[in-house]
Amino acid sequence: MNIALTLSRSRDAAIISVLGIVLMITFLFSLTVGAVSIPIGDVVIILLKRVGLMSSVEVNSMHDVVMNTIRLPRILLTLLIGGALGVSGAALQGLFRNPLVEPGIIGVSGGSASAVVLMIVFGGVVSLPTEGWAFDLLLPVVAFAGGVVATFLVLRLSSDAGRTNIAVLVLVGVAMNALCGALIGLSIFFADENQLRTFTFWTLGDLGGATWNKLIVAGPILIVAPVLLLFHTRALNAMALGEAEAYHMGVDVERTKLMVILLSALGVGVSVSMSGMIGFIGLVIPHLIRILFHPDNRLVLPASILGGALLLILADIVARTVVMPSELPIGVVTALIGAPFFMGLLLKAKKKNEL
Amino acid sequence: MYTASNLSLHIGKRPVLNDVSLMLEPGKFTAVVGANGAGKSTLLRLLANELKPTAGQVSINGKPIQSYAARELSKVRAVLPQHSQVPFAFSVEQIVRLGRHAHRTMSTVDDAIINDVMALAGVEDFRGRTYLTLSGGEKQRVQFARVLAQVWDETVYPRYILLDEPTASLDIAQQQHIFSVARQVRERNIGVLAIVHDLNQAVQFADHLYFLKGGKVVAAGEARDVFTKSNIEETFCCRVNLYHDPCNNCPYIIPERPSLHAHTHADFPLNGNSDFQNLKLV
Repeated sequence: MNIALTLSRSRDAAIISVLGIVLMITFLFSLTVGAVSIPIGDVVIILLKRVGLMSSVEVNSMHDVVMNTIRLPRILLTLLIGGALGVSGAALQGLFRNPLVEPGIIGVSGGSASAVVLMIVFGGVVSLPTEGWAFDLLLPVVAFAGGVVATFLVLRLSSDAGRTNIAVLVLVGVAMNALCGALIGLSIFFADENQLRTFTFWTLGDLGGATWNKLIVAGPILIVAPVLLLFHTRALNAMALGEAEAYHMGVDVERTKLMVILLSALGVGVSVSMSGMIGFIGLVIPHLIRILFHPDNRLVLPASILGGALLLILADIVARTVVMPSELPIGVVTALIGAPFFMGLLLKAKKKNEL
Repeated sequence: MYTASNLSLHIGKRPVLNDVSLMLEPGKFTAVVGANGAGKSTLLRLLANELKPTAGQVSINGKPIQSYAARELSKVRAVLPQHSQVPFAFSVEQIVRLGRHAHRTMSTVDDAIINDVMALAGVEDFRGRTYLTLSGGEKQRVQFARVLAQVWDETVYPRYILLDEPTASLDIAQQQHIFSVARQVRERNIGVLAIVHDLNQAVQFADHLYFLKGGKVVAAGEARDVFTKSNIEETFCCRVNLYHDPCNNCPYIIPERPSLHAHTHADFPLNGNSDFQNLKLV
C-alpha cells in the first residue's frame, strides 16, 4: 500500500508534467497562428532573442513586430488569466464545499466589472484618467477593489459569528450580482458610443487589448496569487469535511477562509480588469480535473492552473482564427468548446455513480 | 486529564448549560446520556473548543484549552461528528489520511498509522473505494478511522477522542463494533468521551457515566454505580424497569409503556434505591 500511495503521488506529478508539456506546445502553436501566420522556427528564434540568445540570427521583420507587439503579450496574458481563473474556481469550490461555486457567485466578477464600467463611464467626471498609461495602471486596482468590496459584502451578509452559511451566501451572491448588473446598466444609460463599445468588451470578455504595459502591471499579481493559493491545498482538503471538522483536525479555519477569498478575489479581479468577464473556466476546469483524476486539492489546484491556461489559449486560437480578420468574443468560445465536453464527462461520471 | 469546570453557556438569556463539571480520564471510556435537548451536543462542542463558554473553564492535560493553537489542540483531541458530508469524490484512504493533517510526520510513520487504524475500524478492504458510494455504517467507520489516525501517535501526554452519538442510524452490529473499538483504544492512553443515545449500550461499554438533564449534571460516577432506576427515571422522565443480563454481566433497562393517563412529575415515585430485579432471560 505504501507503494500504492507513492504511486498515486508520483502519478499526480506525471499528470502535472503532461499538462505542462501540452500547455507549452499549445502556447508555441498559438504564437504561430493568426492574421499573419508565423512559422514555428521563427517563433522559437524570436522567443530566444527576447531572452538574449541567438541575437545574430535575422528573422522576417514583420514577424518580429507582430510577435513582439501583439501576439506575445496577448498570449502570455491569456495564459496567466486562464490559470488564475481556473485555480480561483478550484479554491473557492473547495472552501465553500460546493462544486457549483464559481468566482461569479461570491460577487467578485460582478463587483470588478461594475467598478471598472463605472470608472470608464464616470471616471472622467471625477478627473480620473480615461486613457493612456495611468489608465492601464489604475484599471486593475479599481477592478480589484470592486471585486474585494463585493466579495466581502457577500461574505459579511452570509456569516454569523464567523461562520459562513452557504445557503445564505448563494442568495446574497444572487442579490449582489443583480445589484452589479444594475450598476452596469445604469452606466450604459449614461454612456456614449465609445463607452458602449467597451461595455461589450466587459460582458463577453476580450483578450485583444493586451499590451506589455498591462502585462507588467497584471502579470506579477496573476502569478503570485495562484502560487500563494497552492499553499492552502492541504487545509482545503480538510475543509471538505466541514469547517468544524477542519478545525478539529488542526486547520486555522478563519485564516484559511480569509486568505483563499482574498487571493481568489485578487486573481479574478485582476483578470476581469484585463479581459472582462470570462465565465465557465473557473467552474468547469476544476470539475474536469476531479472527474478525470481525483479530488485531492494538492492535484486539483495546480492542475487547474495549467488546465485553465490551456483551455483559454485554445479558445483564444479559435476566437482569433474562425472569423479572420475579425474576432469572436472569448467568453462565447470558452463556453462553446467547454460545455459539450463537460456534459459528456458528467454523463460518464453519472454512469459510474461518482456524482 | 480532560476537565471541564463549572461550564455554563447562555444563548441570549436562555441557559443551555448550567454549571457543568466533568472529568475525562485517559484510558477510560466516559459516556454522557440525557434526553433530547439536554445540552449533550453543546457540552461536546464546548469541550472541543468549537464554542466558548459563558462561564467556566476547559483544560486539557493541565493547560487551558484556549491556550492551545488549533494545530497543537488537534494532536491532543479528535472529534467524531454524528454525520459527515463530503461534497467531493474522495477515496476512503484519502479521508482517513486527512486525520494526519496537522502532523508533520514522516510518510512512513503516517502510512503505518493509517494501516493500523483502518484495520482496527475494519475499513481496509475498501480503502480505494469512493467515500460517496459507501453505506452509512461504512462511512461512520471511515470517519472513526480518520479520528483515530489523528491521535494514534505514541506520545508522553494522553490524548482524547470525543464522539457525538457515533452510532446514530447504524444497525446493531455496526453499533457494537464502533463501541468495542472505542473501548479498545483506551489501551493507548487515550481517553474516550461519547454521547450515547442507547442507555443499555452506555452501561455496557462505559467506565464512567454522566446523566445530563436541562443543561445540568444529575448524576455522575462509576457506570454501574449510577445506572439506577431513579437516576434514569429522573433524567428521562420515563418509568423504566431495571434488570440484569447475566450474559454480558451487565444491568439493562426496559422502559414501561406509558398508561393512558399521562404521568406528571408530581405523581412520579422516585426512590433513591437501585433495586435490581433479577429476571430470568427468556
